[in-house]
Amino acid sequence: MNAFIDARTISSGTILQPDIAIIGGGPTGITLALALAGTPLKVMLFESGGVDFDAKTQSLYAGKVGGVSYLPLDASRMRYLGGGTNHWGGWCRPLDPIDFEERAWVAHSGWPFGIKELKPYFRRAQALVEAGPWRYDGATGAMATVGPLLPLGDGGVYTSWFQFSRQRDSVLPTHFGERYASDLKRVANLKVFLHANATSLHLSADGAKLDLFDVATLNGKKFSVKAATTILALGAVENARLMLASRDVMPAGVGNGNDLVGRFFADHPIPRDTATLVSFGGDLPGYYFNAYDLNGALMRPTFAPRDDFKRSANVLGSLTTVESAVELDELGKAAVITTALSFGVDASNAKAYSIGCGLELEPDPDRRLTLMGDHDVLGMPRLKLSNRVSDADFARYRLTMKELGRQLLAARAGMIRLNLKSREEWVSALDWGDHHLGTTRMHVDPKRGVVDANSRVHGIANLYVAGSGVFPTYSASNPTMNLVALTLRLADHLKRQMR
Amino acid sequence: MVVGGGVAATLFAAAFGLTMPHLFGRRYAPTPYDDLLATLVDREKAERLGAVAHAAEPTFRPKAAARELRQRLERRTLAEVIDADIKEQRVAEIGGWVVPESLAQLCLLAAA
Repeated sequence: MNAFIDARTISSGTILQPDIAIIGGGPTGITLALALAGTPLKVMLFESGGVDFDAKTQSLYAGKVGGVSYLPLDASRMRYLGGGTNHWGGWCRPLDPIDFEERAWVAHSGWPFGIKELKPYFRRAQALVEAGPWRYDGATGAMATVGPLLPLGDGGVYTSWFQFSRQRDSVLPTHFGERYASDLKRVANLKVFLHANATSLHLSADGAKLDLFDVATLNGKKFSVKAATTILALGAVENARLMLASRDVMPAGVGNGNDLVGRFFADHPIPRDTATLVSFGGDLPGYYFNAYDLNGALMRPTFAPRDDFKRSANVLGSLTTVESAVELDELGKAAVITTALSFGVDASNAKAYSIGCGLELEPDPDRRLTLMGDHDVLGMPRLKLSNRVSDADFARYRLTMKELGRQLLAARAGMIRLNLKSREEWVSALDWGDHHLGTTRMHVDPKRGVVDANSRVHGIANLYVAGSGVFPTYSASNPTMNLVALTLRLADHLKRQMR
Repeated sequence: MVVGGGVAATLFAAAFGLTMPHLFGRRYAPTPYDDLLATLVDREKAERLGAVAHAAEPTFRPKAAARELRQRLERRTLAEVIDADIKEQRVAEIGGWVVPESLAQLCLLAAA
């Protein structure tokens, strides 16, 4: 067993020389470290935090938010081993094929490859996030035997399925740091350094190679790491910060020759109570609200637009869930009575529910992270997030919900009220998924992406970026399982490259 | 389950704790659209919806709407007309509620 190393005990001036350095001990870094186990490569992982939350370390994340309301930058992330999985909800769903396509109605869309590239890694990713057997949309028939699905008429929206991560003893969900600490310690070719903050990347004089990076600790130690290959796995926000702050060779920051690092930031808006759904037939099965254990797979339904509807209606991804029972006002009662009776349908047991959702945003270069003038205690410039959501993003989701309403009517099963109309209503109802995406986007063209199709920073031979920050478009699916799959693909690439 | 409108209306009233004193007894002043409004099981509720729709669509032209509805209802029941609306993507919003277009027009006429 390799005990974790406290970087605060490393002598200042030390230069460590691994084959592979992974900066960041969240789900991406941990997945990569585990995937490189058993190779002849000497791997080192550097995590800023320890194994538990520490307020002083967490405060290194502090920054500023402008524009549309968003959680403070030191509240939407977790800076200790396990990273974002220390506060995730465990929601899992694979990306859809269309998420990878260049779509005429979505500016800046298109991955360098299709879903076929990720499919071979989904099952292993599913195992790592402990979301049980791979069921997802294949569960519809089995779940219908548990309780009847809300019928939908033919149309652009269908009932899809989330699965959920769970840890041993049914504690939701899997926290990667806690869950995989002992596995990491068992990896013979891996050393994990805790309390180790990467503070600067230093390129070779020609800018074509990462020479080394600096590490600092909160007790004043400073040392360097000179790795053959380095992978940034700090999360989409902090990857951009480290790259932008490292300016000794490239004045705009590492990998930022085309002014793309930090741009295209995205998250999933989660507006509350976007709609009221009425089921004419009464109570919906309990699995609409609480995940149901289908032979080890925790399932919960979601209404999703079909890919062909996305194309015909020019909408983006969205995942809509039934949240809680609500009372109808007098107008709502009138709407239900008038509509159901016009069909001759008995809706005497009708029940109304509040609807929630997660939305895909269109990529926006001006929703971005920039450095500010003030610094944290380690001398790192702090970040400002300029947050934006376009009216078109809300309007597209409204179209999807209207289609869902039409399909409920077609099935004579229920109806929908769209609760949000004006921008003010949408913005005031917004929560966010804390799914940081897109700041180091992937594209084969260096003018359109920070990293190439293998996640290597354009123009820098030995520097990679991993995690959801490389997603060029974002899907509505929760990113963790997908970024783990993408990281497994990166691990295979690194093994081939470093053979 | 498909049931008679009057029975369903009563069941609805019970389900939502409504009192519907006028369900079987309310009288309305004659209108040019009574033939159409007779297709509504609960005209009072439709009128309530129609009032909201009017506020959002003050330029509503009742005569033109009635003419179009009569054509649609000529050889079909209201349920059939509504089904056709839904299949042909003809839905409208009343106070956010997504309803078949013909039903929305009936509600507007009820409040006209």
